[in-house]
This record gives sequence, C-alpha cells and structure tokens, in this order.
Amino acid sequence: MLRPRIIPCLLVHKGGLVKTQQFKDPKYVGDPINAVRIFNEKEADELMVLDIDATVNKMSPDFALIAKLAAECRMPLCYGGGVTTAEQAARIVDMGVEKVAVSAAAVANPSLLTEMAAAVGRQSVVAVLDVRKHSGLFTAGYELCTHNGKLVHKLDPVAFTKQLQDAGAGEIVINSIDRDGLMQGYDLELATQFKQALKVPLTFLGGAGSLDHMSDLVSNLGVVGAAAGSLFVFKGKYRAVLINYPTPERKIKLCREALNH
Amino acid sequence: MGLPEGGSVIDNLVRTCSRCVMDESDPGIRFDANGLCDYCRNFDDIIKPNWASGDTGARRLTKLAESIKAAGNRRDFDCIIGLSGGLDSSYAAFVAKERMGLRPLLFHVDAGWNTDQAVGNIEKLVDGLGLDLYTDVVDWEAVKRMQVAFLRAGIPDQDLVQDAAFFSGLYKFARKYKIKHVITGSNFSTECCREPEEWGGYLGIDKALFGDIWSKCGDGKPNNDFPLVDILVYKLWYQKVLGIKVHHPLNLVYYVKKDAEDELESRFGWQRFQHKHHESRFTRFFEDYWLPRRFGYHKRRAHFSSLIMTGQMTRDQALDRISRPEMDEHFLKQEFEYVAHKLGLTVDELKALFDMPKKTFRDYKNKRDLIGMGANMMRILGLEKRYFR
Amino acid sequence: MICIVDYGVGNIQAFLNLFKRLGVEARRVDNAEALSDKDRLVLPGVGHVDHAMQRLNDSGMRPKLEELVMGAKVPVVGICVGMQMLAQGSDEGVLPGLNWVPGRVRAFATQPKSADLPMPHMGWNNLQPRAHSKLFSKGFEDAPQFYFLHSYFFDAEDKQDVAATANYGLDFDAVVSRGHIHGIQCHPEKSHHWGEQLLKNFVEL
Repeated sequence: MLRPRIIPCLLVHKGGLVKTQQFKDPKYVGDPINAVRIFNEKEADELMVLDIDATVNKMSPDFALIAKLAAECRMPLCYGGGVTTAEQAARIVDMGVEKVAVSAAAVANPSLLTEMAAAVGRQSVVAVLDVRKHSGLFTAGYELCTHNGKLVHKLDPVAFTKQLQDAGAGEIVINSIDRDGLMQGYDLELATQFKQALKVPLTFLGGAGSLDHMSDLVSNLGVVGAAAGSLFVFKGKYRAVLINYPTPERKIKLCREALNH
Repeated sequence: MGLPEGGSVIDNLVRTCSRCVMDESDPGIRFDANGLCDYCRNFDDIIKPNWASGDTGARRLTKLAESIKAAGNRRDFDCIIGLSGGLDSSYAAFVAKERMGLRPLLFHVDAGWNTDQAVGNIEKLVDGLGLDLYTDVVDWEAVKRMQVAFLRAGIPDQDLVQDAAFFSGLYKFARKYKIKHVITGSNFSTECCREPEEWGGYLGIDKALFGDIWSKCGDGKPNNDFPLVDILVYKLWYQKVLGIKVHHPLNLVYYVKKDAEDELESRFGWQRFQHKHHESRFTRFFEDYWLPRRFGYHKRRAHFSSLIMTGQMTRDQALDRISRPEMDEHFLKQEFEYVAHKLGLTVDELKALFDMPKKTFRDYKNKRDLIGMGANMMRILGLEKRYFR
Repeated sequence: MICIVDYGVGNIQAFLNLFKRLGVEARRVDNAEALSDKDRLVLPGVGHVDHAMQRLNDSGMRPKLEELVMGAKVPVVGICVGMQMLAQGSDEGVLPGLNWVPGRVRAFATQPKSADLPMPHMGWNNLQPRAHSKLFSKGFEDAPQFYFLHSYFFDAEDKQDVAATANYGLDFDAVVSRGHIHGIQCHPEKSHHWGEQLLKNFVEL
C-alpha cells in the first residue's frame, strides 16, 4: 500500500546549500550536486529543492542549476523558487523535474495554479505555504507569509489553501516558520487543521529533529509527506554538517509502525 | 565517447624492486646490489628499528594519553581528530576513544567530494563511539575554482587542493579554539613507503605555489574563500610558537589493515573501501585514472609496497592488483563526466586538460627547497622517519 | 539500441541518464525517419493524456510507430501517461488512444474504493508482479516498490495482459504486457534500483 514519504528539503542561497533557523541566519552547508548525489545513494523517497533568493530578488528560476540537479537526481524532484508563469513551469518539467513548487506567485494569483495545471498536469503542481503563529497577544491562530517570512497576508491559511487546491494544486506543502531549524518536532496542531480540510496529498515541513518526530506526524495524520531540512543535514550538538537519511529498512519500519499506531 | 588514454602502460622493461613494487616510473628510484629500492632500505634501516610496537608502544600510548587528558581536563574535549571516513582516521578515532580513553572532537572537512560511503562511516563512528562532530564546509565555489586552476596548471599534484582544504581547515580550527593536541591517522603500517614527489606527492601546502598557480591559471578574480595555511607557517608558528602537537597513535598499536577493517565493521557497521583514499570521489578518480593515464604514475605501487614491507601483502598479490585498474572502464567513463560537470567543465574541456603538455611544480614559483631543507632537518633530528629525497 | 520517443512530452533526460547508468545505448528520436525497427521503443508521457495524444499525433511519428509496433512487432514500453496512451481511450479526456492494448483508462475518483483517497496517487507503493510476467522474471527477489504520480489508471480488458498490480483503495493494473507491447504506470526512471532493474529486464527481453 501507499506509504508516507520521507523527504529531504534543501534550500539554495547564492548557488550553495544553506540551512536557516526560523527563516533567518542561513548557514552554508555545501554543494547542492554533491548532496543530491548522496541522497541518490541513500535512495531517498523524493527531494525538494527551494531557491530562497529568487522571489525576494525578483529573479526568474536558475535554469542552469535546475538542469544540473535534474541530470543528477534519481528520485522524484520538486523544485521551487522564482516561478511566476506556466511557461517557466513547463520548461522546468521538460528539464526532467517531476514537480514545480510555487509560493508567493500563487498567493498573489491563485489562477496561476490553474494555468500551470493545464500546462504540466495537476500532479506536477505544488503550492508551498509558509505559515507562522500570529504575533499579537490577543489574536490566536496562524498567518500566511511569503518572501521568506517578510510579507504577511491577511488571509485565513486553511480556507485559502482550499482555494489553491481547487485552483489546481496537486500537492500542498505546509512550512512552519516558527519551527524551522529548531529540531523540536512538527507543529501537529497546525498539521491536523490542514489534513482535515484538504483532499490532495499533503507534506509538512519545519521542526523535525529526529525520526521519532516523523513517526509522530504519521501516527497522527496517516499517509503524508514528512519533509525535513536540518534533520538530514546536521548531526549532533555542534550542528555539524553531515548528510544523513534513514536506511530503507529503518524507513519501512518507521512507516509501518507509525501507521499501525 | 571513449576515455582519453595517455601515459605509459605497465611493461616488463621497467625495472622493479625485488621486494616491493616500486619501479622506475618513480624517476628518482635507486636500487642496491640486491635489487632493493631505496624505500625498502629506508624501511629496513630507519623505520623498522625505531618502530615502537608491542609493549614499548603500549607504554608510550598510555603516557601520551595521560598527557593529553591532563591538558584538556576542564574542556568539553581534550583533542581533535581529523576524520575523513577512510580507514586510517577512523581507526585513529577508535584508538583515541577506546584504547586511550580520550574525549576527542571529531573534525571533518567537507570539500565537496565526499562519497556516500565516507559520510555513512563518519555517522556510524559518531554514533558508535558516542563522540561529537564538527564539520567545516569549505565554500564549494572556492574549491572548484582552485581545482580548475590546478588542472590548467598541468601538474601531477592535483590532490594538493583537497589536502590544502583539509589541512588548513583542521589547523585553523585548532588554533582558533586553542586546542593543543591533534590526532591523525598517519601511520607506518600502510604508508611507510612514501608516494614519490614526482607522482604528485608534493611536500606540503605551499602558499607560494598556490599563489603562482592562481595568478597564472585562475579565473582572474581573487579566491579569498579558499583556506590556506602554509606548511612553514604551520611548522614554525602553529607548532613551535602556539604549541600545537600532532600525534600518530596508530604507530603505537597493532595496526594491520585487514584486521582494523574487520574490527570497525563488526563494532560499528563501518564499510571498507576498495582502496586507499576512495573516501573522496575526486581522489579516487585522480589516483585511478588521471595520474596513471596522463602521467604513468601509479600511486597504488606505493600503497601496496607499504603493505608488502609490513608483511600484509605479497609481491605477487600486489603485481596482480596493479595489472588492472581498480574501477572498470564503464565506471571510469561516468566518473570522468561527473568530475567534468561538477567542476563546471564540459567533457571536451576536461579532455583538453588531460591532453595538455605535462608540467611540474618547478614550472611555478615554489618554496620546495626551503620545505625540503626543513624536512631533512627534521629527519636528521630524528623527528621524521619517512623517506624524502 | 533504445529509442526514446521524443514527441515533446515527458522526462526524456531522466531516461537517457538511466540507460547511461545501465551501460545501454539509448538515443532520443523526434522524427519518423529516424525511427528504425532495430531499436526498442520507450514512450514516455506526463500531464494530461489529451495533451500528450495531441502532441504525438502532431509529431508526425504516429504512422511509423504504428507500423513498427503493430506491423514489425518492435518491443515498446509506454511509461506513466505513455502507458495510458496505449488504451482505447481515457476518462480524463476525449481523444482516442493508440489502442495497442485493449482497455480503458479510468479515474480513481469514480471508483468507490478509491474515491475518498487524496488525489493524485503520489508516492511509493508496492507492485505485485504476476507469476508469469517476463518483465519481473529477474532481480525482483525483494518486494518491489515504485514511485507513482497519477490520478487515472489503466483497466485492461484482457486480464491476461496484466503483468503487475498495485493497490490504492482498489487493486489496479499497474503494469501490462501484451506480447511485445508493455505499459508501466509508475516511474521506473525515478524508482532507484527497482526501476533500473525493470527497465534492464525490458532491454534484455
């Protein structure tokens, strides 16, 4: 049967891989191609690569990098960063990338997702939503952000995401800004709200510090995508860069046990 | 596309040592009346008699452990170990923790060429030994640009780039955090036969050489993110003034390659490599393809000769292994493409570099003589036993 | 030699990379003249099936492909939407398919057993190969897992043509083999060593 996906998420900044904490303080992690190669060897389920510069700098996607990543990557690849038109999405898919992720552009104009779905098929269209807890003392709940957390949008995240689903997103990725890089667990409360509301495959990102956190996510929510950045890139108390990923046996065991919970 | 060929094929007319497998592809080799090469003589006359093994070694190891522990008493860790994921550094980490009872910090420099196996081995050691890890990730663009410059320089010493990154990263860290004791995996058992300099085994990190190669073969812009600690600065300043001491515990214990691999495998699930230096994808390519086929230099001759001298391999076994490359043609072809693309070159551009006229470090500014004097001084003072000409 | 039919749709590069890793000669072909009966054919496909059928029809290669596959019996494997194109037609669109393997492509959303599941079917799932299937005869001692990414599935008319099934709510026909004509719904080019083994078996059939 279909099992949960365990997904490394790599951030690209100035052509190199970085890792952030709460979307700040990018720390250099190395060459993207070498990381992709190591995840190939480890037979990772999927790979997500997000360019965190493109949107804030109003740049189009780095096609040269995408071509290199696609040529090297032996598992399904989702690429995001700076995509604003269906033509760009089609070009990226033609390079050998399975899925194209959009965030700011979809928030600004959900019909972009419809155009993209028409061009590449719904299954290749991914909407990524960066979500943060409200900062006010008296307002509860979450707010939707873009541009690396710098812009806040006055929209209810769950309701808006339903809109994006209807517009053509084949997968939704919910990224918790608060939990990013802290390795203290996923925001399960947040995740549950989205799972109850949506009908497309969901992936959660932000906070995973151990495989147990992923287990918790799956036992609470069922078959979803569990994505992580820090967990697969760092080791130990000094956050030493060391690419790691569970062995196939460990991964299957985790999925099976978490689903039977 | 076929792989470019070049260099010399192993042939029977080249004279080989009667005991080990070093031969005249090392231009400076000399043979005595019994057909023994000067490396074998050096082993017999200098290394073996002074090799503290058995009880002597055990006593020295204990003494060393005590002095390191005392020095690092109130700190999170008492020494650092440069860890590549290869056999020597992995076993050194094991010895440091379990035989010497030290609290080392494992230090890894990521210069962008890690094989998955190396990364996996590091992870298993970190978990299995319960030690902390620190990684220094060198800026890939800086490494890439420097490596391309070195390739354009046409010299055999292509691994100097990675060596510089590892060496400089480790010692800069030691200096910054005032760490006095550094442990390495250097050892006689698998390295007593030194790789000849002509085969790209240059004597150390030479800032003059790097500087000249960069100005003549670099891309015209500064490369300040490339880490460089000059060997003379290191030996004089770091060691003499700052008092950083470097230890090689593998020379004080029983260290036989196969047994060490078996032990690490059974204890930690550590995976052995097909050959020395295969933890780095570039080094594997460099030693198995570039160096032999472009220059006719087979570093495996030195590696196997060390094993022959220390009784871990027979001459016939070594000759048999050398008669074929370590990796098959299909694999090498893919690696050629991988290396080209990773360095931002087309396959044709890398082929052109393969075919360009051969140069040596002497075609560039260098401090080789000065460094050589230093090494010979150390040898005379008994501080260095391996053989440098 | 493997010929990957390049009609403007599908991850041609991923297939070229995979065959290169296997050490098998492969090339992409985008015009009828270059197609030959000495090659085995790979028909990739992603996205909407009508879009793919339209592009294939417009490519000018269809008549030659029909001649090679139905006439000269050149081995062919359709992958993902390429498999769906082998059917008579699909519920996803209106254009008729190639009809090289009798069957119809249906939506998971219309089947009671899968209607409530998240769509598309996305992720790693097990394949249950049928005992007689030649595509799975070598190298599949451990339970094969493949990456799926689709909302429509092939429903073969003649169940003898089914080489492997998978389960998403219901058991569906994931791989078909009708003589020299094969179809694979999942993505072998992105399924690590299982995918490599499956395509290797196709090459060596």
